[in-house]
Amino acid sequence: MKGMVFTEFLEMVEDKFSPEIADRIIERANLQSGGIYTTVGTYDHREMIELVSCLSDETGVPLTELVRSFGIYLFSRFHVMFPSYFNGISSSFEFLQKVEDYIHVEVRKLYPEAELPSFACDTPAPGCLSLTYRSARPFAVLAEGLIRGCIDHYAEAVDIEIEDLSGGMGTTARFLLTMRDAPP
Amino acid sequence: VSEVEQLKRRLERERQARKAAEAIAEQKTREIYEANTRLQRLNDHLEDLVQQRTAELAAARDEAVQASQAKSSFLASMSHELRTPLNAIIGYSEMLLEQADEAGQGDLVPDLDKIRTAGKHLLGLINDILDLSKVEAGKMDVLVEEFDVATMLANVRATIEPLMAKNGNSFEVRCAPYLGTMRSDQVKVRQSLFNLLSNAAKFTKQGRVTLEARRLGGHDDEQLELQVADTGIGMTPAQVGRLFQAFSQADASTSRNYGGTGLGLAITRHFCRMLGGDVVVESEHGKGSTFTITLPVAVGQAREDRPERPVGGDTRATVLVIDDEHATHDFLGRELDARGYRVVHASGGLEGLRLAREVRPDAITLDIIMPEMDGWAVLRELKADPALRDTPVVLVTILGDREMGYALGAADFLTKPIDADMLARVLGRYHARDSQAEILIVDDDPITRDVVRRPLAKAGWSVGEAAGGREGLAYLARSQPAVVLLDLMMPGMDGFEVLERMRDEKAWRDIPVIVITAKDLDREELAWLNGRVEKVFQKGAYDRAELLRIIDGMIARRMAEARAGKQPAADTA
Repeated sequence: MKGMVFTEFLEMVEDKFSPEIADRIIERANLQSGGIYTTVGTYDHREMIELVSCLSDETGVPLTELVRSFGIYLFSRFHVMFPSYFNGISSSFEFLQKVEDYIHVEVRKLYPEAELPSFACDTPAPGCLSLTYRSARPFAVLAEGLIRGCIDHYAEAVDIEIEDLSGGMGTTARFLLTMRDAPP
Repeated sequence: VSEVEQLKRRLERERQARKAAEAIAEQKTREIYEANTRLQRLNDHLEDLVQQRTAELAAARDEAVQASQAKSSFLASMSHELRTPLNAIIGYSEMLLEQADEAGQGDLVPDLDKIRTAGKHLLGLINDILDLSKVEAGKMDVLVEEFDVATMLANVRATIEPLMAKNGNSFEVRCAPYLGTMRSDQVKVRQSLFNLLSNAAKFTKQGRVTLEARRLGGHDDEQLELQVADTGIGMTPAQVGRLFQAFSQADASTSRNYGGTGLGLAITRHFCRMLGGDVVVESEHGKGSTFTITLPVAVGQAREDRPERPVGGDTRATVLVIDDEHATHDFLGRELDARGYRVVHASGGLEGLRLAREVRPDAITLDIIMPEMDGWAVLRELKADPALRDTPVVLVTILGDREMGYALGAADFLTKPIDADMLARVLGRYHARDSQAEILIVDDDPITRDVVRRPLAKAGWSVGEAAGGREGLAYLARSQPAVVLLDLMMPGMDGFEVLERMRDEKAWRDIPVIVITAKDLDREELAWLNGRVEKVFQKGAYDRAELLRIIDGMIARRMAEARAGKQPAADTA
């Protein structure tokens, strides 16, 4: 998993909770990296699961809710760090449809070793978008958070139906997005 | 304490993270450096590769150029070797034909005619093959000259008419009232037209062949359209498709039934395109074919090395026709050309005066009633110009004011409608033949000398012979011929050297030279000959009557020059 996810996660913890809590979960968790992350590095995704579990224990907030919130937060950070990916895009559907064929392709150019999830799109009806997340890792909830962050970014009203296709493992999931009404 | 501990831990993590980031940055830098080095090496290798390929291509090009030169020189010498004996076959058969006729041995005529026809046919094939290989090698030059279209068409008509009659075809030429002049390669235009017409004659029996000529288009891109239509066997679309390819006729049986190699149309298309135009065909099987040549009236952009006046330019006596009526130009152009004169056309008085100064004609025919500047005014100006006042002027008009004409210095007077024979007699008076003039033939081949000499002698000229360059110069030292007919390829001293020696010698410098050669001349040789000789004939390919006519014109011109130069006053009365 890219280092940027870790550095952003810890910054969020420091910001939304407190630097003490960030320090505590790093100390408590059993991390091979010792909690030393740089955006340009790559780290084991299990460290992220460790960190989130510790944060859940520490704060009493359910794990899935934490991961979902982190997804929403991470998307807003994407916009700050990589504004060029947003050029000429005016809706969440448009953005989400570019993830697989444009954004992931660009990411692979910079980080050939990156292991990215697949993110297949389909438009079954007008105003509907079906996204299928497939990964070796159980981060369907993170994907959900990112999708919600995207919808928030474009200030749209979209209903999301989520169907876990991996028997609750969180490695494969379908998101069916429906526009509530025509955009204002 | 715990807060300090916590900050310490945090600082330590940040420090470690910075070091890790630096290590990664260093590693990436090294990777980029190595990638660049690999690219550089690849680039160098590519440049080596390009250089190597360039060298290979240059070598291949040099080889191709050499091979092409070898091929050209082979073709040139082959053409020489083939044309020389053919010239003898055609020349002797023509002379035998005349003799058989005169001696009342008419039974020999058909056989002799077959020999002559076969010889001409073979010569045509050799010329076609040479033309095509020259075109394909890019060695065919375009020699641009200005010529009168109606006159050119009249020539073609005269040549093709016997061929039309052979298959019982009627032949009609429909010319637009004004065709004017064109700046193009006359030989190629004529040959293209001749190819189309002889095809029409060949593939039509008891039918009709029509040649139509007209000018098309606006001021800047005027075109000449020449259309040859026949009512012959026609072609299917498939046959039309491969028509313009070399060695391809409508189908294999065509060559059995009609003869020919199928080179004519390929050459015609090449020629038309070289002159900036094209030739297209429409045909219906069993109904007939229509070929249309379209050519720009002026061939674009003169090449720098193009000779000003091309070799093969006209050396006949020149008549300037000044008249505002197209019909008169058409009529006089045709009739005077048929009688061996070169005709220059001016459609008004000012243009006439300009052309008279430029062309220095041997005679002028002048209309009286013209808009802007009338004939009297033109005549006055001509007589006031020292360079032109000795040029005989024949007034051609419907007015009958002879006294005024003679008073102004007109040489003679004709009334419209013009009687062509009368005009010829009048012009002939200023263009009398000097039978004392001598013609020298320089050729190493005794048969060629004989073939050239006999018709000249028969026409009343006195003819001298020299069997080589050195002998030719020795002859010139003894006697002063009026014209030299010179071969180019001779052992010992060749024709080129003879020309150089003649130019160096003051007494010989002005003797006109006609080259009669079997050599296939390239552009450099033609450029060299340009200005040094009057005309170049290909052995076997020229018309004996034309040669006689040109010699006639040249001698008449020399006499006129001598008259003008030595005794200007005595001869104009």
